[in-house]
Amino acid sequence: MPKPTKGPRLGGGPAHERLMLANLAAALFTHKRITTTETKAKRLRPLAERLVTFGKRGDLHARRRVLGVIGDKTVVHELFTVIAPQVADREGGYTRITKIGNRKGDNAPMAVIELVLEPVTPKKRAAKPAAAEAPVVEEAPAEVVEEAPAEVVEETEVEATEAAETEAAAEEATADEAAKA
Amino acid sequence: MAVPKRKKSRARTHMRRAQWKAEVPTLVKTVENGKVTYSLPHRAKVVEDSAGTPLFLEYKGRKVADV
Repeated sequence: MPKPTKGPRLGGGPAHERLMLANLAAALFTHKRITTTETKAKRLRPLAERLVTFGKRGDLHARRRVLGVIGDKTVVHELFTVIAPQVADREGGYTRITKIGNRKGDNAPMAVIELVLEPVTPKKRAAKPAAAEAPVVEEAPAEVVEEAPAEVVEETEVEATEAAETEAAAEEATADEAAKA
Repeated sequence: MAVPKRKKSRARTHMRRAQWKAEVPTLVKTVENGKVTYSLPHRAKVVEDSAGTPLFLEYKGRKVADV
């Protein structure tokens, strides 16, 4: 359930706001990516994501509830048959808002709102702590010899600098690619 | 209609205008190919080619929009 909006409505009144948001949602599902003002993008996000959830449910009742918001049947068909399968694995967060600076005419802050249609890449959490703990356990017995910890510190420093260099090289490579494109 | 009784002196005007100050924007410093660039945080950045022609807007390595 979207959080109720605080403050004044968009447009002239509640009905005008409903119509504007419905039109924005229809445009988003048609074009997958639209440029609008930051305020409208932020208001559109909860509505659009709710409609996508209906699309994922996929039954007739859900379809009728979406048709209550968006009148255009072709757009609703697109939502249920094309967009919903692409976000089937995604647990919410179906839209992405990126701020792109101010508009030339009236200096209004603009944003791009787009559907996140890329396949889901699950975050890996357990890998990094396990790797960090392993060397510590190995070092603990070696502390009997006094020289050993100093060497370990030097090695880690060297590794850190090397890692930084490789990262810098990777960034340069990507930047070069961007410049070529 | 109420009207000012006295002319406002130059000193008064200047004292008022002395309080108009520009704010320093918060910027993010990034180093690309040894070149330092400053940009606004949480905002798509214009990518330029070597000649300085704007190509497109980019945010977090993703192309966002055309210029």
